[in-house]
Amino acid sequence: MGQAEKQRSALRINLDILNAIQDMREAKPTHILYKANLSHDRLVRYLDELAAKGLIEVQHEGENRTYRMTPKGVSFLIEMRRAESFVQGFGLAI
Amino acid sequence: MAIGPLLVFTLNVLSAAVALLTSYYAYKFSRMAENPILSSIAFGFMLLGIGLLIEAATSAVAQTTLVHAFLSKVLTAVEDYTYLSMQMVAYLVFAVGYAALTFRRSATAAVLGVVALVAAPKAASAVGLYSYAVVSYFVVLILLGFVVFQGALIHSRSPSRFSLLVLVAFLLILAAHVVLLISVVNLSEELFLIGTAVQFLGFVSLFAFLLRSGRVGAG
Repeated sequence: MGQAEKQRSALRINLDILNAIQDMREAKPTHILYKANLSHDRLVRYLDELAAKGLIEVQHEGENRTYRMTPKGVSFLIEMRRAESFVQGFGLAI
Repeated sequence: MAIGPLLVFTLNVLSAAVALLTSYYAYKFSRMAENPILSSIAFGFMLLGIGLLIEAATSAVAQTTLVHAFLSKVLTAVEDYTYLSMQMVAYLVFAVGYAALTFRRSATAAVLGVVALVAAPKAASAVGLYSYAVVSYFVVLILLGFVVFQGALIHSRSPSRFSLLVLVAFLLILAAHVVLLISVVNLSEELFLIGTAVQFLGFVSLFAFLLRSGRVGAG
């Protein structure tokens, strides 16, 4: 686990993951891994949590998995981006 | 209603609406991000909003502004004490909140806020409304100066259009309080109206910040 990863909050990591999935529409774990800068084990844990909350859905194509946003996930991401820009105004970070 | 109190009423109601809206968003996002500094920002803007509404209501009911009340000896003491105290505590919360952001001691904000809330009414009854008004505007000026300084530091470290709009808002509110302090010292109704108008412009900048940050998510 890198130093930068240690300092990120769970909310920040979720936001990075959701941003990565949203950017690619349908994202493979390796792409999310790269964009969100996470170790594989942690990524799997976060993806499972997001799927359990209904924010993302998993599609299986043979042995490959791809992730896409659910409508609930898109709404959550919009709210998170608003929160991020709001807290930025006061010099804070998510 | 005379033009002065009507202007104070209108501008303060609009400013209060922006302050309460900012408080609502800060509270909402503080729950999302579990950030105590955001909670103190929500608390500060709530106090500011309620204080401005009280001052607006006083202008409407008593048909007078704070300065005109001193000139005509119209007593609106309870409301004015409340407004001045809430304003002072609100800016204290912002100042300590910003200090907490820099020095990572957020608990101090809550402690100082509570101490000030308890001490302010006692100080007010001891010195009388006029002296209290002068002292409270002076204290607010110092606190706002500190908030603007911290805001400028934050903006210089990580510049963004959002932190710039918040900085401009606090700068205008600081400028407004310089004018308001002079108006109270000189008992100048005109300066008091100008100060209130400049303060309103500060809240306009804050409203622009709310609109722009709200637009980001949908983009």
